[in-house]
Amino acid sequence: MKSEIYILVIEDEPEVLDSIVRDITEFEEHFNVEMADTAEEAEELVEEIIEEDGKIGLVLCDHVLPGKNGVELLVEMQKEEMTKSTRKVLITGQAGLDETVKAVNEADLKHYIAKPWQKEELVQITRDLLTDYVIEHVKDPLPYMKVLDSERIAESLRTGRKMTDQ
Amino acid sequence: MDKTKLIGLVLGIIGFCIPLLISFPGLSLPGHLALSIFLLAAVFWMFETIPIYSTSILVILLEVLLLSAEGLISFGSGSGYDPVPFSQFVGTLANPIIILFLGGFVLADAAVKYNFDKNMTRILLKPFGTSPAMIMFGLMAVTAFLSAFMSNTATTAMMVTVIIPILAKMEMTDPARISIALSIPFAANIGGVATPIGTPPNAVVIAALNQQGLNIEFGSWMLYALPLALIMLAFAWFLLLKLHPPALKSIPLEMKGEWKTSKNAWILYIVFGVTVLLWVTESLHGIKSSIVALIPVAVLTLTQAFEKDDIRNLPWEVLWLIAGGISLGIAMKETGLADWIVGSISWEQMSYLVLLSVFAIVSLMMSNFLSNTVTASLLIPLGITLATSGVVGGPAGTLIIGLIIALSTSFAMVLPISTPPNAIAVSTGVVETKDMIVSGSIIGIVAIVLVILMTNFYWPHIL
Repeated sequence: MKSEIYILVIEDEPEVLDSIVRDITEFEEHFNVEMADTAEEAEELVEEIIEEDGKIGLVLCDHVLPGKNGVELLVEMQKEEMTKSTRKVLITGQAGLDETVKAVNEADLKHYIAKPWQKEELVQITRDLLTDYVIEHVKDPLPYMKVLDSERIAESLRTGRKMTDQ
Repeated sequence: MDKTKLIGLVLGIIGFCIPLLISFPGLSLPGHLALSIFLLAAVFWMFETIPIYSTSILVILLEVLLLSAEGLISFGSGSGYDPVPFSQFVGTLANPIIILFLGGFVLADAAVKYNFDKNMTRILLKPFGTSPAMIMFGLMAVTAFLSAFMSNTATTAMMVTVIIPILAKMEMTDPARISIALSIPFAANIGGVATPIGTPPNAVVIAALNQQGLNIEFGSWMLYALPLALIMLAFAWFLLLKLHPPALKSIPLEMKGEWKTSKNAWILYIVFGVTVLLWVTESLHGIKSSIVALIPVAVLTLTQAFEKDDIRNLPWEVLWLIAGGISLGIAMKETGLADWIVGSISWEQMSYLVLLSVFAIVSLMMSNFLSNTVTASLLIPLGITLATSGVVGGPAGTLIIGLIIALSTSFAMVLPISTPPNAIAVSTGVVETKDMIVSGSIIGIVAIVLVILMTNFYWPHIL
């Protein structure tokens, strides 16, 4: 199943980009993974996705990029209606305290992953944040149960009364 | 709009037009109009062109417009049809059975709000120890018990949150994962038949029986249906253990949780207990279950244990769905459509037993693909008419055919699409559809055989 929910990965070093995408392949069956190597390219991608009625569930973003930096990009995404609820994560080794604080305060940063990261850590964070997003934004979360946190999705069915007997 | 829906839309409109263009001998004008509505509803329900509850609402609107005394068409006195006041079609929304369900919904949603369902599960599971077979039996018994009073779907969702941590601790290859994951939806489906409020098809059937002057008490329904539920529950347990025998010897079962002790939580516990007690003892005090159902609605709202937002969150569309089904039955009976359909089939060639079996098998097959409520709504007018026309014979026959339809629809659990609980179980990824098909089919067949046996050896003796 291909859904309308996207994961956006922004990283300027090709090998690092590859390794992030490789680590989260288990989500590819249910989410579209899109890559960009600059913030500017990411913005274009976001526009295209929104135009085609897609939603961006998660953005995994490096901080130091040629041109606009990662934190600036996340803050701008936070200001936009369509990407406000996108779960935002920094994967970086080089964001200073000031910038990190800015990302937390102004971009509602959900997680800071320090390079080098462990695959399990990245997968766990991706799963948690996508589960949040799906519970909040998807009318029928059943197709995502298998790949995401099925216990939390079942709990959302129980308390959110999303499904009834027919 | 996808292809199936589009086909449904076209077929539905064609179905609606056929009785308007072609005159069927022996069917009155209102009968033709009712047939138009019936065909449109049947096709829309089957293809889900629009959500099934929307079809129900459309049915009520069309009946008011085309068949009611206040509608667009004036039927002459010579037509032999005394138009039904529109309030009777609209009034199905306040039918006693709908009020009973409303009471059940409020209780169930309040139970979720105060975690009553989960805490009950935690307490009830304790005595079952740690052996996989006993744990599974416990899970199934608790699921069936809760789904007899709450929706099958909500019970399944809750139990899935209970079993996922258990499954996570097991080897990926252990067949017990499959048997446990299947046991929950199956037990929920089975538990739904046990009480009138267990599942919506029961409502459609009970409402139709009420219209025939047959009043079904809460306790009487349990007397008719509970033995079947218990036997099927034990059988499903046995079957799943045989098909997927657990490899591990013991399952650690840890459920954490605490009873809520706020004032409102206590109010819920008491109201829940009192309501259920009054329901099952109807024969002792004579207060109808639908009147008892107003107690939780009134007490929980006046104490603010159940607030405005909770009221808004009730599954109102299920009540519309049931009301549409009841209302379709009224139209089919009043216009003579049901008589006409029943009369056009030569039932005389079938024996009593074959006839009942046909209803059981058709109900089971249809509801594997359609909503259970829709199946009951489409079949019950025919079943009742058949019984009242004398082919099956007597009030006992009417009741028996009602029970057959209600129970058989609920035992349809072959596919993920058969019931929402099945869909949830398959979505976890633990169970594959093929496992569900095998065990679900066996359960369906055994249930049908038991239902038919009961029509001969059980129900006639207790009615």
